[in-house]
Amino acid sequence: MKKFLALLLTLMLVAGVTTFASAEAALEPVELTIMFHGSNVTDDSAVMEKVNAYLKEKINATLNVIWGTWGDFDDNSTMSLNAGDPIDMYFTCSWSRDEYNTYAKKGMWVRLDDPDNNLIEKYASDLWSTLPQVLTDGAKIQGSDGLGVYAVPGYKDIATQNCWDVNVDLLEKYGYTLDDIKNANYYTFGDILKTVKEGEGDSFYPLLVEGMVLERMVTNSIIVAGDSGSTNLLSYYMNPTDVSAEGAYGNVLLNKFATDEYKKFVDQTREYYLAGYIDPGLAVADTANDLRKNKQLTGQYLIGTQSYSLGYELQASQERNIHVEMVPVTPAYVDTTSSQGAMVAISTASQNPDRAMMFLNLLNTDPYLMTLLNYGVEGIHYNLNADGLVEFTDKRADYQPWTNGMGNVTILPATADQGKGFWDTFKAYYGEAKKIPIIGFTFDPTNVQVEQSALVNVAAEYALALDTGAVDPAEKLPEFLQKLNDAGMQAYLDEANAQLTSFLAAK
Amino acid sequence: MQTHLSTGKRNLRLNTISAPAETAFHLILGLFSLFCVVPFLFVIIISFTSEDSIRQIGYSFIPLSWSTDAYSFVFKLGDALWRSYFNSFFITVVGTVVSVLLTLLYAYPLFRKDFRQRQFFNFFSFFTMIFGGGLVPTYIICKNVLGLSENYAALIVPMLFSPFNVIIMRTFLQTSVPTELIEAATIDGSGEYNTLFKIVLPIVKPGVATIALLNALAYWNEWFLALLYIRQNTDVIPLQYLLMKMQRNADFIAKNSHLLGSEAANVAVNLPSQSLKMALVVLIVVPIACAYPFFQRFVVAGLTIGSVKG
Repeated sequence: MKKFLALLLTLMLVAGVTTFASAEAALEPVELTIMFHGSNVTDDSAVMEKVNAYLKEKINATLNVIWGTWGDFDDNSTMSLNAGDPIDMYFTCSWSRDEYNTYAKKGMWVRLDDPDNNLIEKYASDLWSTLPQVLTDGAKIQGSDGLGVYAVPGYKDIATQNCWDVNVDLLEKYGYTLDDIKNANYYTFGDILKTVKEGEGDSFYPLLVEGMVLERMVTNSIIVAGDSGSTNLLSYYMNPTDVSAEGAYGNVLLNKFATDEYKKFVDQTREYYLAGYIDPGLAVADTANDLRKNKQLTGQYLIGTQSYSLGYELQASQERNIHVEMVPVTPAYVDTTSSQGAMVAISTASQNPDRAMMFLNLLNTDPYLMTLLNYGVEGIHYNLNADGLVEFTDKRADYQPWTNGMGNVTILPATADQGKGFWDTFKAYYGEAKKIPIIGFTFDPTNVQVEQSALVNVAAEYALALDTGAVDPAEKLPEFLQKLNDAGMQAYLDEANAQLTSFLAAK
Repeated sequence: MQTHLSTGKRNLRLNTISAPAETAFHLILGLFSLFCVVPFLFVIIISFTSEDSIRQIGYSFIPLSWSTDAYSFVFKLGDALWRSYFNSFFITVVGTVVSVLLTLLYAYPLFRKDFRQRQFFNFFSFFTMIFGGGLVPTYIICKNVLGLSENYAALIVPMLFSPFNVIIMRTFLQTSVPTELIEAATIDGSGEYNTLFKIVLPIVKPGVATIALLNALAYWNEWFLALLYIRQNTDVIPLQYLLMKMQRNADFIAKNSHLLGSEAANVAVNLPSQSLKMALVVLIVVPIACAYPFFQRFVVAGLTIGSVKG
C-alpha cells in the first residue's frame, strides 16, 4: 500500500512538473469557438484553412466559427449560454435578446478588466488604445464582478443620426430644392407633400416612414437601452442642437406616449395620414418593412425616414436608381444602444479565456486577419483593383459574414463602392460624434418584468397605428394612456428613473 | 313507373337519406373542402406571381403578371436544396419506422393483462406527458450526454418515443384484440414474438397506420430540432429548416429594422422574395400530401373493421 501511494505521488509530481514546464515554454495548442450573428455563410472552408494556419503561427490556436444567422442567433446563443456549451466567445449587444448587460449580471461573461486578472492589460493593450474612448467607456457596465468591461466593443458605425431620406429626383421635378427640406421640419413641410401628392396622383404616398423611427426623429427622443426592444415605452428627450447637453426635460425618463411632444406629433401625423401622404400599409407591423423596401426600390416616395450610416446615400442612390440625399435632423450622437451595438464577449464557460482575449486582440488590430475573416480570401472572394480597393467576386455569395458584427472594421481595406479614403472619413465622422449625457445607462427591467410584458402588449396594439396616423389620436390616445396606466406604467417609470438616478450618482 | 322505380331504389339502398338533406350535406362538406383547398391554391398562385406584381397590388388570385423566377431561384440553390430534400425523406422514413416499432413494442406489454409491471410502465410513460424537464435540461442531456449534435441522430432520436402515441396504440390493442386470441395462440404453440408480429400486428394494422401517419407528419414538419442541434453541419439539415431559416431571418429584420438602421437595407439583399417563400412551401407540402392517400386507406379501414367478425 505504501509503495503504491509513493508511486502515485511521484506520478502526480511528474505530471505536475511537466504541465507547468510546458506552460512556461510555449502556448499549448487550443481550439477556440466563436459564435457570430447575422452571417450568411455556406462555405467557409477556404477561409478557415488560411485563418487557422495564421492563428497557429501567431497564438497556437485554431478557430471554430459558428455562423449564427439573424433568425437563429438569439435562440442558439441563449440556449448555449444557459446550457454552458463550450463556446469561448459570443457576439453580444444591447439591442437583441442576447443582451450584453443582462448576461453580464448573470455572470455569463468574463470581466475583461478584472483587477485580479486583467486580461485587457495582459493581452489587449494595443487594441484598447486604438478604440475611441466613447466605446471603451460605453462598454463599462455593472456586472457580476462589479463595474467593468465585459466585452470587446466593435469599432463600427457607433453613432446614430436620424435623417430624412429624400428622393431628390422627384423633389426637383416639382421645382423644389434640397434646401427646402433642410429649412423645413416635419410640421412645416406639409405644403411640399401636398404639391407632390397632387402631381403624382391618388395611389402615390409621399411620406414613406417607419412609425417608430419617425416618432423618435420628430420628438428628438432616443431609445433607452434595456427598454422593451419591439415597442419602446420609455423616452429620453435629448437636446437637438447640442447632443451632449441635457434636453428640455433634463435627465429623466418619460412615458413615451404621455408627453406634449408626442401628442403634437401624432396629431400632425394623423393630419398627413388623412391627407393621403402616408400609406396605410405602413401601419401593419408584419408587412410594413417589406412594403417600405419595395417602395424604396421603386422610388415611390418623396421623403422617408432613415437611421443613417456614413455613405448610405450613395448606396441607396445606386440601389434605387434615383438621386437620394439624407437630411439630418440632429447632429450624430452616441448612446448606449449604438456604443454597445456590436461586441464580442468571452464566455465564463470558456476553458481558455486568456487565449480568447489574445485572439480578440489580434482580430481587432491585425488587418490581415480581420480582412480574411470578414471579406474572405483574396483571389477567391475578392480581388484588389488598381487602386487597392476591394472588388467582390461571385464567390462572395457563399461567404458573407455580418461585417459590422465582427469588431474593428476600420482596419479593413475600403471597397470599390466606398471609395478611397473611406475609413479616414469614417473615423472623422464617428470620432466627432458626441455622447449623450446618459450614455452607458441600461435599464434593467428584471423587477418590473410583469409590467413590461403587459405594457408591451398594450403598446403593440396602439403605438404603430398612432405613429403612422392610422387611428384618430383624439379618441385612441387617451384610451391608450389609460390602458398603459392600468398595466402599471407608473411602476415601470419609477423603477427606470430610480435606476437612472443611481446610475448618474455613481458616475 | 317513376314511383315504382324510386321505391325500388329506396329498397335497394338501405342507408339513403332524403334528397334535401343530402344536398345540404354535400354543400357543407363541399364548402369545407373549399376552405381547405383554396388557401393552398392561393399559395401556388403566389409562387408563380412575379415580384413586380406583388409589389404593386400585393397577393392576388389574378396577378398582373406570372413568372417562374421563384422556382428557378429555388432550383439554383442546387445541392443545398436536393440535399435537404433527401434529408427530410431520410429522417421521415427512418424516424417513422423506428418510432412505430418502439411504440408497438412498448404498447403491447401494457395491453397484456398478464404483464405484472404494466402499472409501473404505464405510469412511467404517462408521467413524462405531464411533467417535462424543460428545454435547457433536455438540450444538455441530448447534446452532452447522448451526443446528439450535428448529426442525423439529433433529428431523429429526440422524437422517437411519444407517450401519447403509446396510449393510442394501447387503447387500440385493447379494443380490437381479444385476450382469447392470444391465449389461443399460446396454446397452439406460438412464441411471444410470433404472436405479436404474426397474429396481433395484422389485426392492428389500422392503428399502426395511424401512428405511422402521425409520426411521419411530425418528422416531416420538424425544424426546431435542427435549430437546436445543427449549427455547423449544414449537410444534414432538413427542408423545413431551410425554409424556416429564411423566414426567421426575414422576421428578425422586420422586427429589428428600426434598431438596425441602414444595416437592415444591406441585409435585405439576402432575404427571399415573397414568391420564393411560397415556392418553398409548395415544395414542402407536395410530397407529404402524396403520402396521405396511402395512409388514409388504413385509417378509414380502422373505423370500419373489427378483429372479431360477427
